[in-house]
This record gives sequence, structure tokens and C-alpha cells, in this order.
Amino acid sequence: MSFFDAFVQGFALVAQWESLAFLALGIAIGVVAGAIPGMSATMAVALTLPFTFAMQPITGILLLLGVYKGGIFGGSIPAILIKTPGTPASSATALDGYPMAEQGKAGKALSMALYASCIADFVSNLALILVAGWLAAFALNFGPPEFFTLIVFSLTIIAGVSGDSLLKGAVAALFGLLLATVGMDFIGGTNRFTFGSPDMMAGLNFIAVLIGLFALPEIFSHIRNPKEREGNVRKLGDSHLTREEFRGSLKSILRGSAIGVFMGSIPGIGAAPSAFLSYSEARRASPNRENFGKGEIEGVAAAEAGNNGVAGATLIPLLSLGIPGDVITAIIIGAFMIHGLTPGPLLFTNHADLVYALFIGLIASSVLLLFIGWFAVRGFRYVADIPSNLLFPSVLVLCIFGVFAINNSIFDVGVMLVMGLLGYAMLLLKFPAAPFLIAFILGPLLEDKFRQSMLMSRGELDIFVRGPITIIFWCLTVISVVLIVRSTMAAARIRRQQRRTSMPPRTGTNG
Amino acid sequence: MLARRDEIIVGIVILCFGVLLLTVLIPNYVEVPRRVRLLALAPYFWPNIIGALLVLCGGLLAVRAYFTPPTPPEQTESLAISQPEALRLAGTLLLLVATLFALPRLGMVWTTMITFVAMVLLTGGKRLVWAIVVAVLLPLVLYIFFYKIAGVAIPQGRFVRLP
Repeated sequence: MSFFDAFVQGFALVAQWESLAFLALGIAIGVVAGAIPGMSATMAVALTLPFTFAMQPITGILLLLGVYKGGIFGGSIPAILIKTPGTPASSATALDGYPMAEQGKAGKALSMALYASCIADFVSNLALILVAGWLAAFALNFGPPEFFTLIVFSLTIIAGVSGDSLLKGAVAALFGLLLATVGMDFIGGTNRFTFGSPDMMAGLNFIAVLIGLFALPEIFSHIRNPKEREGNVRKLGDSHLTREEFRGSLKSILRGSAIGVFMGSIPGIGAAPSAFLSYSEARRASPNRENFGKGEIEGVAAAEAGNNGVAGATLIPLLSLGIPGDVITAIIIGAFMIHGLTPGPLLFTNHADLVYALFIGLIASSVLLLFIGWFAVRGFRYVADIPSNLLFPSVLVLCIFGVFAINNSIFDVGVMLVMGLLGYAMLLLKFPAAPFLIAFILGPLLEDKFRQSMLMSRGELDIFVRGPITIIFWCLTVISVVLIVRSTMAAARIRRQQRRTSMPPRTGTNG
Repeated sequence: MLARRDEIIVGIVILCFGVLLLTVLIPNYVEVPRRVRLLALAPYFWPNIIGALLVLCGGLLAVRAYFTPPTPPEQTESLAISQPEALRLAGTLLLLVATLFALPRLGMVWTTMITFVAMVLLTGGKRLVWAIVVAVLLPLVLYIFFYKIAGVAIPQGRFVRLP
């Protein structure tokens, strides 16, 4: 299929009313979920996933992408109006957004957040369209050893940057890999860790694991400490943004978009570091740098651009290599799997129409976000008032129905509950959940590629260092481990120095 | 950040789990085919690698925590749990186990209605009237979507069946 044919067929898929309607619905769900304090974009995408079973692949995937995009923007609304970021990445938006709201300029802050989000999202989608196809074509040259080293590299970064400690990230990833071995071994046809249960022979259901891991710990946290939301919702005030204000922030928006694209395309980095880096770069370069933190509109623009700039770029490793860059794209991979599609280089060859339909849909999502976001900003008061003691039981009911619907299996509901307990324990013990989930998804692929490589080389391990691509990935893995360890040690040194300076001077007992 | 003592315990627990995996779980719960062409293709090869790495990481976590100076109490997150919190969490655990067992017997709609109200009561029982309204409507809406539209055979239970 030529590029033109694929593009035309993709356009025909998106140009149906169902596709656009579900994309818009997804954005609306995402914005509302992101705006509810206590909900997150991740939880929203996870809970929406079971509803896509009955849909066409394109409508289901567009619905989820809409929830993802809407959720990321939605997180900025409570960050600005009640200083409660809906997503971790929105914390940077609160730095200047909330002081603006205190000054009666919440409407202006939200308008700027919306424009910056839409522009950054558009830039990120363009980057995806330009890079993903090229990268997928390059990845067609990858054999099993190259894929094995690529997955090792991706898991190393995800384990290293997802939490406070590389070791804890590595332990989480190892548990994810171990859980992925449960079920029938596809080479020998023998069982591994099934404990005689026929339900476990097909392995643990990925959607039950992810919903348990990301939705239930929030419920346990709420039950342990059922707090009502504190603080009032600030009034919107004037929401008109002048041309000068927009022009003054445009440079920061474009810079933030570029930072978001770069950081989003590296597996594991995510939106939060991108938003903070974009914010600090804007503060460094701005003539109004002394106003940052006190209600500077450029700060809101930079943070939101950095935050939303990752949204399209995280799909680059997912679509072109089959590697989920963060937790949300790991969930979106589930939507592909449900419909029998495997993200990766072959997706561009076998389902080019679907890929182009997604690209066109993503561009449309930037425009739809502009309209839906405008209404969401004005309707936030009703969303913010949803009491958490009704919200979390609703989430639990949604989880039970959604997980059961995957395989009509009550066993899957049990798996979800056990994973919820495990996720809560990980939360308490400061183990990041992202490496666990991504390792669980990539585990079978990692083992498969390892075994294929061993078959190719008849058991010789040097197959993993024979080609230039594998050597590059090993070098990148070593470099990322060194950088992560160095940054961890530097942070520990700073903490030690802070502790020394905060300690009172010792007084001699003899003196 | 956790207290140093807690970090050491976490490291030791992971190390012990790794040892348990290598010595008990893999030998007993990984079936081996009669003939294995290559060691790397054996079903126990990959779990063994994971077990060995868990032992290594658990050991490193414990050693690192042991040699790290103690964190000041104001920066330490305590794992201690108050009695009301423990009771609420234990109640939730019981509720979830009961829900799981009730799903095939009572049916998903009725079970989730009861679970919803029970959870609201566990967290203080505020807005009980609203809770009952949502508890009835939400499972019914989900039932209509999954059963009537998506064609999922939602468990109906043995007592009251929905149309």
C-alpha cells in the first residue's frame, strides 16, 4: 500500500462521525477525570479501556487517546483553581497558576493553559507523524538481539527514573518480569507458577493487573484516611487573554513543546520532568524572571507546554518500536492487543491505514481539546464538588464491571483485587509501579527475543554484542545507569549537606 | 523516604523472597519438559535469572540502607498505622473478599450495590441518601451497557435475575 493510499484510507476511517464523536467523548471524559481531585489521567484511561471492547479498533483507540490528551490538560484546572494538581505534571502549572487565581486572574491562567496545551499537543503530534514512520522503517532491520537490547535499555531507564531509587525501580521491574512468566511456557508447553489452577495457565490478564495496580491503591489510600477536599474554588475572573500576553509567552510555549517532544520520545521520562524543565528554562530566559512563582502567565504557559508536549511524543516508541514510553501508553497498548493489533514496525506495514487514521485523529484532537477545554474550565465548579466518599466507591464498581468484561472471568476480578493490595504495598514502601507494569507487559517479549537469539546463535551469548545496533543499546544502557547512579549520589550528598547545616552545633561536654 | 530500619527490612524481605524463589518455587512449580535442547530455552532459565537478580538487588538495598546515615524524623515517612486506620483497612479487605465470593452467588449488580454502600459506611457514612442513589443507579447503568450493548454475560446470581 502506497503512502497516498494509506493516507486516504486512514482519512476515511477518521472521517466517520463515530470516530470523531468518540474522540470528542474521550477528550471530555479525560478533561473531567483530570479535573477531579483524586482522579488521574492514568486512572481514567485504565477505567475507560474495558468500554472499548465492543468498539471498532479505530474508535476504541481514539477514545483512549482522547482520554489521555484530555486528562493531561484537565489536571491543570484544579492545579490553578484549588492548588491541587490533578496529575503530577500539573504541579509545575500550580507554581504560577494558583498565585494568578489568588489575584483574581484564574480565567487568564486557564485560558493560557488551554492555548499552551493545544499548541504543544499539536507540535507533539506533528513530531510523532514525522518521526514514527521513519523510526519504524529503521526498526524493520532489527532482529531478536536488537529488540532484546532495546527492551533492556528501555526497562533500565524506566526503572531508574520512575522513583527515588534505581534499586527499587529495578526490584519493581523484576517483580513485573516474574509475574509475566506465570502461565504456560510457549516453547516447552509446560506450566510455570500456575499452582494447578487452570485460570492461570493463560497467564495473568494484563488489564486486571493494570487496573488493580493503578486504580485500587487510590481507593485504599482514601479509605485509610478519608479526607474531604479543603480550600475553596477560586473565581474565574476575566478570562480574556490579550495578544501581547500571548505573544510574550509564545517563545516559552514553543520551547516547552520542543522539550516535551524530546523528553516524551525517551521511554520512561514522562510529563512531570518535562513540565518542570520547561518551566525552569522559561524562568531562566524570561525578562520577567523575578515574577515567576508570584503569578507570571509565562510560567503557566511554559509548564503546560512542557506537560502536553510529551502527549504525542510518548506514542513514538509505542507505535514504531512497540515499547510503551510511560504508564498511559502501556495501558493504550492494551487497546491494541484487545483488537489483535501489535504496535511496532510491522503495524506500519500491515495496518498502515489505521496508523494514518490515528495520526489524523490526533491532529483533530488538538482542535477538539480547544473547544472542550473552554467549556470544561467554566464547568469545573460542578466537577470539583464531587465528594470523594462517592467517587471512590464508584471507581471500585467501575473496576469490577470493567475487569470482569474482559474475559467474563471472576478470577480476573480476584487478580485485580490482589494487584490492588500489591500496588498499595508498593505505594507505602516507595516502590514505583510504572516499571512493574511496563516490565510485566514487555516481559514475554523480552524472554521471546532472548530465546530467539539463543536459537539463532545455538546458545552463544556473543550474539548480543555482534551488531552495531546491539552495541549502541548496551552503551546507552551503561550510560543511563551511570547517569542515574551519579544523580542519585548527588541528591544524597545534597541531603547530607542540608542535614549538616540544619543540625545545631555540637557543644563539648568537657568545656 | 522510609526510616533506615524499614529500608533494611524491605531489602532483607526481597532477598529472602529471591532465595525462596530459587530454592522452593522454581524447583516445585516450574514444570520441565523431558528434553531441553539448550539451557537458555529451559522454562526455569528466565525465572532463575530473575531470582538471582532479586537476591542481588535485595542485598544491595539492605546494605545501602545499613550504610546510609539515618534520615531525620521530619523527613521520614512512618509505616506506623493508627488503630482506626487499621480497622478501616481490615474492614475493606473483608468487604472485598466478601464481594468476590458474592459475585457469582448474588449477581454482579446486587453485590456491587451493597459493596458501594458498605464502603461509604466504612468511610464515615456522609451523604448516605446520595450514596444509596448512586449505588443503585451506577451498577444498573453499567449492567445495561455491558449486558445489553457490549453483549457481556454479567453474572446474574441465583436469587433475583435482571431482564
